[in-house]
This record gives sequence, C-alpha cells and structure tokens, in this order.
Amino acid sequence: MRQFIFITVQGIFRDRVFKGIAIFAFIFLLIPSVSSLSMRQVVELSLTLSLSLISLMLLLLSLFLGGSSLWKDIERRYTYSVLSLPITRTKYLLSKFFGIVACLFLTSLVLGTVSCLVVRYVAWMYPPLRPVVWPNVFLSIFFIALKYILLVAFAFLLSTFSTSFFLPIFGTVAIFFAGSATQQVYDFLQSQSAFGYSPLLKKGANALYYVLPNFSAFDLTANAIYGVGLSYSGLVLTLGYFIVYTAIVLTLAAIVFSRREMQ
Amino acid sequence: MRKYVLLLVLVLSYLAIISSFTSHMKNRPFLERMGYTPEPLVLKFFSADQYRLSAAFLIVKVISYYGSLVEQYQNKIYIPPEYPEMGKTIETAVKLDPYNMDSYYFAQAIMIWGASQVKSTNELLEYGMQYRTWDFYLAYFAGFNYAFFLKDYANAAKYYKRVGELTGADLPMNLAGRYMYESGRTDLAVAYLSSMVKSSTNDAVKKSLQTRLDAFQGVGKIEQACTSFLNDRHRRPRSVEELVQKGYLEKVPVDPYGGTYYLDKQGKVRSTSKFAYGVASAARERTSPFNTNDSRLSH
Repeated sequence: MRQFIFITVQGIFRDRVFKGIAIFAFIFLLIPSVSSLSMRQVVELSLTLSLSLISLMLLLLSLFLGGSSLWKDIERRYTYSVLSLPITRTKYLLSKFFGIVACLFLTSLVLGTVSCLVVRYVAWMYPPLRPVVWPNVFLSIFFIALKYILLVAFAFLLSTFSTSFFLPIFGTVAIFFAGSATQQVYDFLQSQSAFGYSPLLKKGANALYYVLPNFSAFDLTANAIYGVGLSYSGLVLTLGYFIVYTAIVLTLAAIVFSRREMQ
Repeated sequence: MRKYVLLLVLVLSYLAIISSFTSHMKNRPFLERMGYTPEPLVLKFFSADQYRLSAAFLIVKVISYYGSLVEQYQNKIYIPPEYPEMGKTIETAVKLDPYNMDSYYFAQAIMIWGASQVKSTNELLEYGMQYRTWDFYLAYFAGFNYAFFLKDYANAAKYYKRVGELTGADLPMNLAGRYMYESGRTDLAVAYLSSMVKSSTNDAVKKSLQTRLDAFQGVGKIEQACTSFLNDRHRRPRSVEELVQKGYLEKVPVDPYGGTYYLDKQGKVRSTSKFAYGVASAARERTSPFNTNDSRLSH
C-alpha cells in the first residue's frame, strides 16, 4: 500500500502540480505591500492573507485532485490493470486517498514556511502591538490541512459512484459551502432571531447540522491572527471528530467502490 | 495574416477605449464604486472560510474611497462623503470579523466626526470589546466618546477605568478626570486627537485627523484668550477680532476647513465652516452640500 501511495504522489508530481504550487507561492511576496494598506493591524492582515492563500490553494487541490484522481483512473481504464494486481479495491482507494493527503501536507508545509517567512518580515517592518503567537499559526495551518483532507474524503465518496467529472467536483464544492455554514445556521436557529421559524424547518436544519461536516471547528484563524487563547480540549475533540468523520466517509466510499461494477 | 491584422485592430481598439473606461470607473459615485454590500449573513455564507479576508477587503475599499475624497479636498474639490454607505460597509466588516481593529479605528477616526454616529460607533466599540478583550484602545475610544460627545461622565469613567485595568496604569483615569473637570473638553479632544494622529499609519486618515486637531487647537487658543479677557476685564469679548485688537491673541487662528472663527451669542467659539470641508464655500454660494451638525467643536 505504501508503494501505491508513493505512486500517487509521483503521479501528482508528474502532473506538474507542485510546479503550479511553487508559482503560486510567488503571490506571497505581494503580502507585505498589500498588508501595509491596513491602518492598525498590518501584521494581522499579513497573517489573514497568508492563511487565506493557503486555504485557497488547498481547496483547489482538494477539489481537483480529490475530485478527479479516482474518476480519471476509471476513465482511463488504469484502475482495471491496477486491480488485476493483488490489491483490494479498498486498499487501492485508501492508497490514492493517502497519496493526496501526503500532497496536501507537503503543500501546507511549503506554503506555511513561506507564510512564516513573509509574516516575520512584515513583523520586522511593522512591529505589532501584540507578538505573533507562532504555535497558534502552526496549529491553524495544520487544522486547515485537516479540513481539506475531510473534504477530499467527500470528493472520493462522490467519485466512487459518479460516472462523470461533474458530480465529484460540484458536489465537493457544495459540501464545502454547506460545511462552512452549518455552525452559523445552527447558531442562528438557536438564537432569539429564529423564534418565528417553523419547528419542522428547525428540526430539518438540526438534522443536517449533525449529518454535514462542520468545518467551523477547524477554523483557528482568530487564534492565529489575533493571538486568542486556544482551548486544548476543543482541539482534541475536533481531532477526534476529524478522525471519526473521515473514517466514516472513507468506509462508505470503500463500500460503494467495492460494489461498483467495472466494465 | 488576416488573423494577425484582426488581432492588431482589436488590441488598438482596446487601447483606444481603456483610458476613457478607466476614467469612468475612477469617477463613479460611491455607491457604484462600492457596489451593493450584501447582508453579513449572506456574505459570510458565500465567503465560506475567507470571511476574514472579505472583511479586510471591505475595510480597504472604504479606506481607499475615503482616501480619494481627501485627495480631492487637497485640490479644493469638495465631494460630500456617503457616510451611511460607509457606515453600513464598516458594520458588515465588523459582523464578518469582529476582531479586525481597522473597522473600529476607521469608525472612531472618521465616522464619528463626520456623520454624527456617536451612538452607533459606541455600540460598535462595545461589540468589539466582547472580542478584543485585551485591547485598551476600544475602551479608550468609548470613554472619549462618552465624555466628549455625550457628556456622560459616569460611563466615560467606567471605560477609562477599564483602560486602566487593561494597561495596568492609573494614568488614564487621572488624565480623564483632569481633562474632564479641570481643563475642559477642548483639551480632552486635543490630547485625544494628538494621540490618534501619532498612531495613525494611513495617510488619508492622518490628514483628516490632523486637520481636526488643527481646528481644535485654533478653538483652544481663542478659548484661552477669552478666559484671560474675562479675568482681566470682567466681561466677555464681543468678537475674535477684539481679542486680537486688545492683545489677547497675536492673530486670528486659521480654520483649516476654510471657515472663519467667530463667537456666538453665548460666547462660544464657532466657525462658519461648521468644521467640515466645503461648508464655508458652499454657504457663500448658499447651496451647502453638507448636512453636518455644528456641535462637533462647539462648547
């Protein structure tokens, strides 16, 4: 399985994805000048921009690698030759998944390092009132990566039963938006403002809240940018949530993929 | 060959139109330039995890709009700022990212003076204090607003006390007390605006604050001369000119907003500019584009 993970990463390299990421990293060089537009929080703006760019890059990778990887192999009939080898479909699926996970972590590491250098430079140019809390920044980048790994799991699930390119990509985009908003909608429905809403709607929204992924939990940007204290028990819970939820989605993907008829 | 000719013609057409197009885009009125600002909830949904970036983008848009107005003021072109739209945009930015200091700073540095939005600015600051729990600036701003604009010294003291707690110093409390009860509101405003000018990094905001500080300093000089005049002659001066004639003022201070200082019937220092750009000249033309109230610097 390790070999297949390696082959997946190699395939991503072959597709020149990392060259694209290296070019993308040049955008980070613009951060110091853009950040200087801020009146009172230049360093905070540089962190906002850095984390936003990392998140955007990981989103694009999750969508296009996660949504197309499995589907492309099936379309090119590459899957059939691989599955003729002594490897189960589940192992094949997981090795593709972990190959993309490795790629996401590698990208996070590269862009995270570039970000840290840029933010350090900005902090040197415009000393902030409060020092940058670096552990929070590293944790924030790590949790952004986790969020997109969960999204890739969804892209894989959709790829297992889709016969076209559109469902995995657009379905994953929909999951991304829904997952980013679930907590917000839930909080709104629990507040006084939602007093007039029908109980049926509230129940439906509540059910969706528990079914859909909750990406807000992975958002540590306030902690990274503004140095707000972290709740370590919350982090452990989020990590637990991530492991269990991703495992459920991957298990479902493995079940569907095992039953899929390959012609 | 024909394709290349066509491409050349199209590029030339583009070059012909781009200058007028850029000029049109630059001169659009505020609403058009800002576009419609959606409700925070909607914007937050579509921004997904980029909501803090959206907030920063909204603030930069307002700052650049205000900066372009200040540039026009330097050229003696007075375009009334669209304060309600600016306020709405800032409020949306706060709802998206309540930690972003730029929103509060802009509201405090610009909106409160120009748009009579004392109550809403204080609400904004109080909302921000729930998030920026470490930041003494928000309490400092709120304290100043209560003392200077609303003359609510009990609430002002409450916020200055918070400043003291956050900075670990008794100085803010003492300063507040001294300024409010001994020196009067002009000194309080001068001290406050001086600190704002020093800490401001944005050119447009700095210029705007400096102008207001200059105006306050002018008022302060006249007030001081009035006090000396009253002490010596046991009556109020009839006009600012009388203060100059009797040697209490070296010369009449220049109102940076283009108006002329005068004393009203109660002896309070006022200006024909109402301490807003364009009012003095517009008043001369009897078509004032501004609707700012004149209580900002009145006492």
